[in-house]
Amino acid sequence: MSDIALSPSTLPPSALPTSAVPALQFIDVRKTYPGQAQPALRDLTLIVPRGSRTGIIGRSGAGKSTLVRLISGLETPDAGQLLIAGQDAGQLSSKARRERQSHTGLVFQHFNLLAQRTALGNVTLPLELLGVPRERREARARELLAQVGLGDFAGRYPAQLSGGQKQRVGIARALATDPDLLLADEATSALDPETSAGILELLTQLQRERDLTLVIVTHQMEVVRAATTHVAVLDAGQLVESGETRALLGHPGHEVTRALLDAHRPEVQLAPGEVLRHVNLKDLSSQTLAALAGLGARIVLAEAHPQGVDTWLALPEAQAGLLAALNLQAVGA
Amino acid sequence: MSWAEIWPLLWQATLETFQMVLPAALIAEVLGLALGVLLTLTRPGGLLANRLVNRVLDAIVNIGRSLPFIILLVLLIPFTRLITGTSIGSTAAIVPLTIAAIPFVARLVDGALYGVPGGVIEAARAMGASTGQIVHKVLLPEARPALIQSFTVMLVNLIGYSAMAGAIGGGGLGDLAIRYGYQRFETDVMIATVIVLLLLVQGVQWLGDWAASRADHR
Ligand SMILES: Nc1ncnc2c1ncn2[C@@H]1O[C@H](COP(=O)(O)OP(=O)(O)OP(=O)(O)O)[C@@H](O)[C@H]1O
Ligand SMILES: [Mg+2]
Repeated sequence: MSDIALSPSTLPPSALPTSAVPALQFIDVRKTYPGQAQPALRDLTLIVPRGSRTGIIGRSGAGKSTLVRLISGLETPDAGQLLIAGQDAGQLSSKARRERQSHTGLVFQHFNLLAQRTALGNVTLPLELLGVPRERREARARELLAQVGLGDFAGRYPAQLSGGQKQRVGIARALATDPDLLLADEATSALDPETSAGILELLTQLQRERDLTLVIVTHQMEVVRAATTHVAVLDAGQLVESGETRALLGHPGHEVTRALLDAHRPEVQLAPGEVLRHVNLKDLSSQTLAALAGLGARIVLAEAHPQGVDTWLALPEAQAGLLAALNLQAVGA
Repeated sequence: MSWAEIWPLLWQATLETFQMVLPAALIAEVLGLALGVLLTLTRPGGLLANRLVNRVLDAIVNIGRSLPFIILLVLLIPFTRLITGTSIGSTAAIVPLTIAAIPFVARLVDGALYGVPGGVIEAARAMGASTGQIVHKVLLPEARPALIQSFTVMLVNLIGYSAMAGAIGGGGLGDLAIRYGYQRFETDVMIATVIVLLLLVQGVQWLGDWAASRADHR
């Protein structure tokens, strides 16, 4: 796959960028933390299309958070260029950088809310830093809290909120300055599956309504499936592949991607001679079901999501090769 | 001695203690807070990381904290005279009390600020907050309960130190206990003074704990 796999011309119509300038453009970016022998990111070249929901996936230590830290201005590249909306992030004056930062929302794994401020106080903070008058910032914060479903919780302190509610406050806070770019680093990793799903849904909905570019960092393939239009796979500081989510998950080209897909493998007792196969179906139509039955396949797990239906099959090894003939793509054997 | 005689003495001594301790506490809190914030900011990895400045401040704080108060009291006599025009009395005692409390407060503030989670500071940085904004809007407010606790500890310490202020004619409760209880064998006065000191310390600690827990929303 080419380095710049997420080129605007390959976008589905729904995600077509309104401008030719990508939201983010990494060009040969390298970042080594002081005192570290190995770079956290090496020669990273990647485009994040404007208006996309791009997933960044990789194993622990792959460099995902480093990528987010570069975008959010917490770190600067050692070499190469990072263009944010066409502007070289490395060349910004500190005033311009702050301006940029105030238009980039960041959502954290552990929420990072101020414990001594109420939900309202947390959401108003970014506006307070910009000098927005109290009345206006509180009105805006109340509006945002209502949008994330916490209209009645404005006066609560973080300690009085559940994990999912805290993350909703975190999202409202990230949106306070009306950013064009929203970054979520493992935003659902500290939450139970049901709560995670709710947060991903909220992020997706907000991205659509506000025409944001959303970057979702995760180590879980479920998150990529559920919420992204595009995905980039990182490993050991390098991009291993990237593309539209549907295409890339349908035909993972790299073993790291397959391994990440496999991490989601369900626990299942296989009969002798049976193998487990993972297929991505457009839908579970009666024809498909009939075809699968013809192969002697059992459906172990099926998960519907925007990209289709993720299905795990247990089937006789001899039949496994026939999946392709049925126009079913087996993924991550 | 009769109670009628002890009361006025106690009352006078308590007032003197307040006269020494309160101004010293307020000045030391302001200066110690500033020094503590600088200590935190200049730490390695801090917002204004600077190894040299941090080492120097750290050394100053350590020296200030390791000097016994009675020695500080004597060492500071020329400085005290320079500032207050006299080297004896309650007003003069404020100077060494303040100087002794500053490094103490600085160390406690440094510890209190260190307790603010890094992620919260990072969140503020990512919002484009300046260092000054982070100090005012994040570090100090988030550390408020711990800061109140540290102020309390300092007050209690100063009450203790102020007992030694008798050495330079500062008066106060400690001085009363020594002059009457120890030097003139007036055990009643000694006991009464100790009780007042105890109540004072207890009261301050109780108020401090109450204020800190009220301020804490974690
Ligand atoms: N502040 C730092 N100082 C030194 N090394 C760091 C620092 N932050 C990250 N690293 C190193 O850089 C590499 C990439 O780290 P990064 O946090 O970007 O990974 P990640 O993909 O986000 O991992 P995880 O899934 O565990 O969050 C790792 O080897 C890590 O040890
Ligand atoms: Mg990470």
